[in-house]
Amino acid sequence: MTVIKKLLRNPTSLIGIILLVGFVIIALLAPVLAPPPENARDVYMIPRDGFNTQPQPPSPEHKLGTTEGQFDIYYGVIWGTRTAFRVGVVITLLTTLIGLTIGSLAGFYGGWLDEVLMRLTEIFQAFPFLLAAITLTSVLQTVYGRGEANFLVMTAKGLALLTFGHNPSQDLDPIQLQILTGMLAIIAFGWMGYARVIRGNILSVKEYEYALAARLVGASDMRILGRHLLPNAVFPVLVLASMDIGSYVLTFASLSFLGLGAQRGYADWGQMISFARNWIPSLADHWYIVVYPGLAIVLFVLSWNLVGDALRDILDPRMRGRGTGL
Amino acid sequence: MFRYIIRRLLILPLIMTAVSMLIFAMLSLLTPYERASLYVQDISKRPGAIDSIIEKYGLNDPIPVQYWHWLVGRKDANTGEIEGGILRGNLGWSKTGKATVWEVIARRMPATAELAIWAGIPMILIGVGLGVISAVNHNKLPDQVLRVISIVGWSIPVFVFGLLCLMFFYARLGWFAPGRLSDWAMQVVQSDSYRVYTGMYTVDSLLNLRLDIFRNAVSHLVLPSVTLAYLNWAYMLRLTRSSMLDTLSQDYMTTARAKGLTERLVILRHALPNGLIPVVTIGAIMLIGLLNGVVITETIFDYPGMGSFMAQSALSLDVISVLGITLFSAFILISGNLIVDILYGIIDPRIRLD
Repeated sequence: MTVIKKLLRNPTSLIGIILLVGFVIIALLAPVLAPPPENARDVYMIPRDGFNTQPQPPSPEHKLGTTEGQFDIYYGVIWGTRTAFRVGVVITLLTTLIGLTIGSLAGFYGGWLDEVLMRLTEIFQAFPFLLAAITLTSVLQTVYGRGEANFLVMTAKGLALLTFGHNPSQDLDPIQLQILTGMLAIIAFGWMGYARVIRGNILSVKEYEYALAARLVGASDMRILGRHLLPNAVFPVLVLASMDIGSYVLTFASLSFLGLGAQRGYADWGQMISFARNWIPSLADHWYIVVYPGLAIVLFVLSWNLVGDALRDILDPRMRGRGTGL
Repeated sequence: MFRYIIRRLLILPLIMTAVSMLIFAMLSLLTPYERASLYVQDISKRPGAIDSIIEKYGLNDPIPVQYWHWLVGRKDANTGEIEGGILRGNLGWSKTGKATVWEVIARRMPATAELAIWAGIPMILIGVGLGVISAVNHNKLPDQVLRVISIVGWSIPVFVFGLLCLMFFYARLGWFAPGRLSDWAMQVVQSDSYRVYTGMYTVDSLLNLRLDIFRNAVSHLVLPSVTLAYLNWAYMLRLTRSSMLDTLSQDYMTTARAKGLTERLVILRHALPNGLIPVVTIGAIMLIGLLNGVVITETIFDYPGMGSFMAQSALSLDVISVLGITLFSAFILISGNLIVDILYGIIDPRIRLD
């Protein structure tokens, strides 16, 4: 509780929290703020007003203007909030879960298991993250384009269930599949940092008296790990990791911007900004294609970073007693 | 010290082998048919082509055998020549670049290297400099201002930043342009009288005594290098700041002050040399940042380097090119890390005991 109180008292994190609450409200009220057309097949596909290639500036009909192909920017920004939360929360959840599993197994059991898992972590870290994610995306898109059932399709179905609440017994929706591909690639190369930090923390608490005491009274491995080590070594890491939602949204937006995330016309901020690539010489006139979705991303990421930064000061014991920054 | 370097060097081939296995694992997610079709230009015109390629390159062989062939090359049954093999520098044929992947890398590397140098130097100076200022003024006004600026900067995606730069300085003001050179300068560079030394226009133009070309190249480099540098300086600021703060709280700092040294001397002589040691690792972090950053930066600024090629290939699902460039980048990154590790060991003897 004191943590939350501190966050609310700190002006920068307070701004962050207010922004976050605002985004949650926008996401929840999306159908009210930007009602989808009645016959929409997928409410996340931005409705089009004609097929004119020229972007149109803000007008009474389209409050924030339209992109090329007449996708309504206001609609995309509002519904894009939902996409951002979905993508960010699911990626963060899964990367930390993988990191938690690998890190705690390596730290707790040590020995050859530690050796194997940590070398594996190093190999994944040997790749530049974005390049690896792009590579995996292009491979996965080919694999999924094949449309036959295999392990990777099962994975995608699980992810679809988690992200979109998609029924696993039905076929994957091609519109969603492209987003899932990008998310999978980010998850596959995103867990290593968490694994290393959690392993390190487990290593340091495992020799404390309370852990030895638990072992002495005959507690099982699982019980020591679950009841004694994880709450002490891992909780702060997880709290801090939850703030990475912002940066994962940013990474996913980069993939979308390159054309490897959400498909054209989907309510996703990065995808919307990618329309600007065709209008660079006349961007001064078509500023609204970049500015509105860009502002949405910046504020969203900023709000997580503001809260995360304050939280880091509160949770990092080395900084204690030196004031909490701002 | 010598043993430390040797030990580090011995790890290099091990990691590279593991990395190549992971790359090949990704490749082997594709069926033989899909992999063969990556080599065929126009599938509909040559119906039997795919089967013959599967046969010729042994794409139906067991995976370990294929991996071995992919690594060292495969003897052609008819001609007896050895084909392929990434160890022999054969990364495959790039559909997107219409040349071998290696040729594409060689052609585009100077552009990317030039951009990285132009972005990297100001990035280090500004990031480290501001980090020191921040730490020395811990929790005072400059620290707090820099902190807010770095959080805000950290939250702006590169592509938004880059597009905003283009919007103002190209579309509105017309000061800078995308691309690498203007058309007239490109003609000069491609003419016979102009000698190519490094492929980096800012260096070559000086060696050719062409100041006009130099100026033109620089004006094209300003926006992309600012965008690329901006991506990392905030991170460097924070790393330098926390490392300096750590040093400033050490007992020997109190001792130095107790000796009656001026604050300036305490910072310059006692804090900086120790506080900047971990900053050497910035080298590695920066390399990661640059390798990732060039993909988006070059794409936005239509800059013909490895990054924009990577993005193009990925869009057309040219898996061979994408994997080749990723492998090459991983190699750069691993070597860079190794150099940083060794430097770190030289500067800070405590590390070697590890």
